Amino acid sequence: MSTVLEQIEQQIASLSSKVVKKNTGNIRTVADGVAKIDGLSDVMYNEMVQFPGGAIGIALNLEEDEVGCVILGDIAQLKEGDEVTTTGKLLSVPVGKALLGRTVDALGNPVDGKGPIDTKEFYPVEKIAPGIVARKSVSQPLFTGIMAIDSMIPIGRGQRELIIGDRGTGKTTITIDTIINQAKINKVGLASGDKNFRPVYSIYVAVGQKNSNIVRTLSALEAAGALEFTVIVAAPAADNPANQYIAPYSGAAIGEWFMENGMDALIVYDDLSKHAVAYRQISLILKRPSGREAYPGDVFYLHSRLLERAARLEGKGSLTALPIIETLAGDVSAYIPTNVISITDGQIFLETDLFNQGIRPAVSVGLSVSRVGSAAQIKATKQVGGKLKGELAQFRELAAFAQFGSDLDAKTKAQLDRGGRIVELFKQPAFAPQPIELQVSVLFAMQKGFFDPIELRKVVDAATSLKGFFTTRKDALLTEIRTKAALDKDLEDKLLAACEEWKSSYSA
Amino acid sequence: MAKHAKIAQQFARQLFKLSLADGAVSADRVAGVLAFVEKHRPPNPVMVLRVYQRLVATELAKSQAVVEHSGAVDDAMLATIAAAMSRRYGRTVTAAARPNAALLAGLRVHVGDDIYESSVAGQLAALASSV
Repeated sequence: MSTVLEQIEQQIASLSSKVVKKNTGNIRTVADGVAKIDGLSDVMYNEMVQFPGGAIGIALNLEEDEVGCVILGDIAQLKEGDEVTTTGKLLSVPVGKALLGRTVDALGNPVDGKGPIDTKEFYPVEKIAPGIVARKSVSQPLFTGIMAIDSMIPIGRGQRELIIGDRGTGKTTITIDTIINQAKINKVGLASGDKNFRPVYSIYVAVGQKNSNIVRTLSALEAAGALEFTVIVAAPAADNPANQYIAPYSGAAIGEWFMENGMDALIVYDDLSKHAVAYRQISLILKRPSGREAYPGDVFYLHSRLLERAARLEGKGSLTALPIIETLAGDVSAYIPTNVISITDGQIFLETDLFNQGIRPAVSVGLSVSRVGSAAQIKATKQVGGKLKGELAQFRELAAFAQFGSDLDAKTKAQLDRGGRIVELFKQPAFAPQPIELQVSVLFAMQKGFFDPIELRKVVDAATSLKGFFTTRKDALLTEIRTKAALDKDLEDKLLAACEEWKSSYSA
Repeated sequence: MAKHAKIAQQFARQLFKLSLADGAVSADRVAGVLAFVEKHRPPNPVMVLRVYQRLVATELAKSQAVVEHSGAVDDAMLATIAAAMSRRYGRTVTAAARPNAALLAGLRVHVGDDIYESSVAGQLAALASSV
């Protein structure tokens, strides 16, 4: 008994004699989510500091006699003279599978009213991107479910593909389609019991978006059954700029956890234009020197250090990034668009004119590119869609000339007809991604001329009919295409026979 | 920041550097600086002197350990604290006592912007924030 009491006594003694050192400062000014602080002589760059009332800040400006901090959280209670303390920690967010299906704020706190998130692990928000040695080249496809993209501008796991276009051209829709498609593939893959199947988990980061838009995205994902594989990080327009600045990094940290633990993840940054604007606001309040368009000098580094964190790692998983940039009047040569174009491994350019013509998704084939190329395509897609980009480019060129003359030779006319049909085939409704095997089947039918006798305005209906035919009656064939991932002679014959069967039923 | 405020800050920093002798604030030099400002009247003298005052106060606080205490603290304890702080910071640090009943028990020592917390109130606050 006495030993136990002695142990307790020792514990009390050790606690009561414990001296805790704190480095403190006092708020000199606080405005617009940024505080200038006297003191904090031991603070480190990017260190988390503690404000009264539970608000935290990040030290961004270390000056001779003051420290500039962005404040995350409620700033309404803060006032001049309040004590601020260093924490010796970098800002971290909760990570792990427990976040799937949840909506969190920039600090990883749940905002969906579904209760606390049960996770013990935390990851630093700011982290140096993986180096050269740790990386592996991008060679595994990440299917978006959008035929125009999967066949001509393929995206691979670990790639950074920019989605760029004016407002209201369907940028967010493409990313939601991609997330829904990952969920669909995950469900099929997990149900198949294939041990080699690697699901793709998605993270959607909303920066500076309207709350109504975030709710719409959430509803679309929920309706499609994709929310269970998705984490939403929300820093809406009503949030202070510091939260909007940090949100993409928080999302990257959540994605990195999947990558580091041997899983594949997809992250959507919607959008980096608003992220740059939030950072500009913070920088101007911090009195940093401004440059072009009043952005600070390190706005390139702001995005490069974020997007470099997307990678495919040797012996681990991958993180694929789909950043979104909004252009003004289609100007891709503006400051932020050119920066992000140069950082990413390609871009999908969406045109307002195409969108207004009813060509949706409004992907401009000429201006879109994937620098990973066909390395991120399965062989079957290459076999049926290898020449598509060239054919469409020829079509656009001929279509421009055909406007001036009515007499066209048979070859030119055939090329125009074929091009027109390809454009029609690529039309796809929102939130309805197509499985890759179905895309291959439709493109195969197109290459074999099954759509040639069909009137141009009826091509979309015919394609819908063909997809329905394959889905309902040729499921085994679709499964074979999916598992083989290449068209051999036997599979081609079966596809041809199936197309003939559809043709006879469609004509009838 | 307005240009005149920036200039005033820079000037105040220069005056502050002139106030140091062997790395510590010298009373004679401070008196000299004040006499200079009085005589030559730089632009925006109030702002210059306010910034100068803040810089001097910050520097002086680095050489003084303010010992907040609840309960009795004798001279021997203050001397021990002063010696320990002098060793830690590598400069002469003096200690001054300041009673603070809100601490409940124990000590809290301020040296510049560092705080050494060894009070019951501090431990209770840490406990409250961790729960």
